[in-house]
Amino acid sequence: MLREDRRKGLISLQMLLFEFRKTIGNPYVHIFGVGMPVLMMIVITRAVAGEFTDAEAFRVAVTSVFLGIGALIPMATIFMGYGISNAQEMEKGIPQRMELFGIRTGVSLCNRILSETVFMVIAFCVYFAAGYLFTEIKAPEITGVMLYVICILTFSVILFCLAHAISTLLKKFSLTYCVTMILYFVFMILGGMMGITYDNMPSVVQVIAKLLPVTYINRDFYTVWTGGSYNFAPMVQAYLLMAAIAGLLLFLSVKRTARRL
Amino acid sequence: MLLTIQNLTVRYGTETALSIKVPIVIEEGDRVGVIGSNGAGKSTLIKSLLGIVSGQGVIETRLKPEQMAVHMQFNEYTDAMPVKYIMEAILGTKIARNEKLQELIAFFEFEDCLRKKYSKLSGGQKQRFTIIMVMMQEAALTFYDEVTSGLDFETRQKLVEKLVEWYKGKETSFLMVSHYYEELDQLADKLLILDRGKVIDYGRKEVLFHKYCGRAVIVVEHSDKNEAILAGYDRLASPAHLIALSCTSQEKEREITEMLLKHNVNYKRSSDDIEILYTNAKQEGLRAC
Repeated sequence: MLREDRRKGLISLQMLLFEFRKTIGNPYVHIFGVGMPVLMMIVITRAVAGEFTDAEAFRVAVTSVFLGIGALIPMATIFMGYGISNAQEMEKGIPQRMELFGIRTGVSLCNRILSETVFMVIAFCVYFAAGYLFTEIKAPEITGVMLYVICILTFSVILFCLAHAISTLLKKFSLTYCVTMILYFVFMILGGMMGITYDNMPSVVQVIAKLLPVTYINRDFYTVWTGGSYNFAPMVQAYLLMAAIAGLLLFLSVKRTARRL
Repeated sequence: MLLTIQNLTVRYGTETALSIKVPIVIEEGDRVGVIGSNGAGKSTLIKSLLGIVSGQGVIETRLKPEQMAVHMQFNEYTDAMPVKYIMEAILGTKIARNEKLQELIAFFEFEDCLRKKYSKLSGGQKQRFTIIMVMMQEAALTFYDEVTSGLDFETRQKLVEKLVEWYKGKETSFLMVSHYYEELDQLADKLLILDRGKVIDYGRKEVLFHKYCGRAVIVVEHSDKNEAILAGYDRLASPAHLIALSCTSQEKEREITEMLLKHNVNYKRSSDDIEILYTNAKQEGLRAC
């Protein structure tokens, strides 16, 4: 009786709250998704302050750093946070238990996506509040804000698919933690967030860096933010490539866990 | 007919975990106890019926997956919140607003556990937590896979008493896997006996008992004295510490009991002893192989 009722809708307030409680119950998202980006943004912007004598150039650099580090939020909250949490659940057989109670994977996923989005928005609010309090960010153009939101959201969707696929395929917390952590730091390093900018990377590394959306968010988004002219083609290609990889892995994970009735 | 299993084979790699050749029919209102030693294919049977493991063969049923409920051997839930929220989310209801759920929580004495996280519950509380949610599903067919395994004697007994009380007078069907014969004695009316992935027999408890044990069995402790007293009587297969005798008629039973009384030997008489039934069915199955 109950399970038939549940089939009617994908999203319910109860399931949304349930998934949100799971999201905020994961300490990684608070440490890496909220604390670390804010801390890094403050530390790096203070560190580069001494390198600029021109106030305008300093604000350009600060805004650029601020926008780039913002990409860490979905990487930490969704990619690492959700990936680890899902792997822990997979290891314990929780998704299967939920499905046996009639809660389809699609329902759990839809509510989880929404709860992750809500948490990410809160994390971004904290990040922007800290940014405006502790640094001097340049005011954006409205199109710049919209494009930043679209890029971050699209990046988040791809990261969610990737995290879900990796954790479902690996099924083990330790393995998923290891893989997502490595990829997290690879994205950070190749995206130019760890001190070596794209221009200072060896040409071979640049080829790989160019394939990552995070590189464009970190390197180029100041231009978009301030309404400047920008060629989106390479960035879109990087998004498409990452989406294709995530889609393929997601397909494999869904095939592997399908219930045969 | 609720569910029919025909020619079902489940393999794990090259090993055949389950092979059911003769059709198994579960009718509405049936309470089937599944017995067999470790590796007999009991859990595999449940998993294949639920579509968790794939096999070859036909499982014919008019039931949709959501009309089947299951209590697995191991049930885990998130530890990020108190179990109250897990229960409400899974059942899609609020405890405060659902009288039936309140009744079940009270029946299984779970009120004080609602604020605890799943990992903080004891073994018995964990089992009761899942049972409450499984029962709330009001499924046409429920599977219980070793609900009481790992529980101490008292908790196990209390849980079974609760289950017996709950199902009294209800028409619900279930399939219960258990290693404890006394549980099946109280809860099941049909038995499915499995051994090394094969069905030894399936049918009503009393029919199977009659087939393998006769009208009644007399069980005494195994000792040299009792061996000597009972020499000459037809013996049934039994665990090593027991001697089991088949009573094919009332006269035979009287003769044996008089003999035992004469020698002051303690005995147990039963017409539904599942342990002796299972031991003999298994032995016959081995002989047939």
